[in-house]
Amino acid sequence: MSEPLLVLDNVTKNYGAIEALKGISFSIGKGEVVALLGDNGAGKSTLVKIIAGGLEPTSGRMLFEGKEFLARSPAEAKAAGIETVYQDLSLCTNVDVVANFFMGREITRKVLGIPVLDERAMEAVVGKALASAGTRIPSLRTNVEHLSGGQRQAIELNRFVHWGGKLVLLDEPFAALGVEQTRRGLDMIRQVASQGIGVVIITHIMQQAFQVADRIVVIRQGVVAGDVARNKTSPDAVIKMITGETLSGAGPAG
Amino acid sequence: MNPRTRQALEFVLDNLVWFMLVFVLVVFSIFIPNYFQLGIFANIIEASSVLGVMSIGLALVIIAGHMDLSVESVAALSAMAVGILFCSSGIGLGVQLHPEWLMVPVSLLLALAVGGLIGAFNGFLVVKVRMSAFIITLASYIWVRGLVLVISGGRSAQDLAPAIRWFGIQRLIGLPLTAWIAIACFVVFSLIMAKTPFGRHLVMIGGNETATFRAGIRVNRNLIIAFVLAGAIAGLAGWLLAIRTSGATANLGVGLLFNAFAAVVIGGVSLKGGVGTLPGVYAGVLLLSAINTAINLMGLPANFTQVIHGLLVLAAVLLDAFKQTIRQRLA
Repeated sequence: MSEPLLVLDNVTKNYGAIEALKGISFSIGKGEVVALLGDNGAGKSTLVKIIAGGLEPTSGRMLFEGKEFLARSPAEAKAAGIETVYQDLSLCTNVDVVANFFMGREITRKVLGIPVLDERAMEAVVGKALASAGTRIPSLRTNVEHLSGGQRQAIELNRFVHWGGKLVLLDEPFAALGVEQTRRGLDMIRQVASQGIGVVIITHIMQQAFQVADRIVVIRQGVVAGDVARNKTSPDAVIKMITGETLSGAGPAG
Repeated sequence: MNPRTRQALEFVLDNLVWFMLVFVLVVFSIFIPNYFQLGIFANIIEASSVLGVMSIGLALVIIAGHMDLSVESVAALSAMAVGILFCSSGIGLGVQLHPEWLMVPVSLLLALAVGGLIGAFNGFLVVKVRMSAFIITLASYIWVRGLVLVISGGRSAQDLAPAIRWFGIQRLIGLPLTAWIAIACFVVFSLIMAKTPFGRHLVMIGGNETATFRAGIRVNRNLIIAFVLAGAIAGLAGWLLAIRTSGATANLGVGLLFNAFAAVVIGGVSLKGGVGTLPGVYAGVLLLSAINTAINLMGLPANFTQVIHGLLVLAAVLLDAFKQTIRQRLA
């Protein structure tokens, strides 16, 4: 494995008396794609939120690029270079495609010392980003509420590809996509990883995990139930880890 | 539908309230004798300045997905503070500053500060204590009005210092300076909302607060600023109100809140947040004012105004729902 980008060391999360995460340890390398699998309620989304700054862990520590890391807000995680695509889409449907693409990172120019939105520059960037990903949206100035589910998800995916950063977290990114768009999405992930960016993808679909991931991490009842290289395991073996029939392959991958 | 018609239709929908305003003005001009006069139109703008300024602040907070019911009382408190200091009779202390013009910035800053402080209080409770803005600002609406009664003892201040009064008397192209101040506020805040990252962020927060938080926008900071602005703008409205009435009474501005709400809703701002523009709100304010003027000219009892305003708000909400349906068809 290449140099670790993010290391999780015994991360736990309690909601009152409920232990959602009982101690998660694994690591993600630079340019590595890790598929995070697990049954509903296994704690995958909680884990992603902790890394992305949406939740604080109850205990445990994280190392990001070798340094102690804890994001208290999504803004902090973003500043550190962690991009997240959430399961429930994070778009403001009341504004247009361009505004969503740049949410919080608008291009501005100074007019009399006041930052003013540079709409033309932003539109050009979005047009280019969408075109290179092969996404077709009738007008970049349409409000997102008028777009289809697939188009919305495409915006989110293009957004993370464009901003990149160092680590990308994808929480079921393909739920609303068609076959062709999903294939393109998986290509995007490989492309992002080839730039040295670490990718964590949560998915329910075994086939997708095997198509795109370098390593598969299975979470079951708040602990890591398996951590194996993709080419050293099979879908059947992974399913058994998810359901808990076997613990073969448990423990960190070599 | 070809893109042209679609664009034209979108334009009409986006600016519907302006079309309504023009329509109403034309109808009144035709059917009401003496309505079609420059003086009347100037009067419509003049009469809407206090309400207009107040509506800006209210609209900002509503667009950001919250609510500020306290603006009316805040305006009254600011007006009373200015009145007590700079009025020479009634409960006025008649404070004199030299040179005289110094009273203008001092009274203005006082009004803005009073409003801004209450706005900050509201914003802090809403954002940090995570309580409903409706309840917090309802409480402020009540206690701030109470404060006005307490500091005035129910009495009034009259005869505002001439240096401050000057803004209500001096005219530029047929309109008093107070009206120009309102217009300037609309221009400035329309630009802020449409052209700056701050304005864009407020609209997005109103649309999907979670998404903006995840995107790293400092939601809490932006919301507190919005509440402070709403308070300060209400303070400015109070300052204008004091100038207009040349003083302050304990029940100054009662009922303005509901008119401001009406103007904001008629202007196309959705109470769900994230939708609406300030030019639309200005059109809403002018529309209300135009109707009031018509009622006056026709010699109808003033009590009709309230009935008509209420129906107008109802019509605006229905219209909003109707617009939504059309837009969905368009998409």
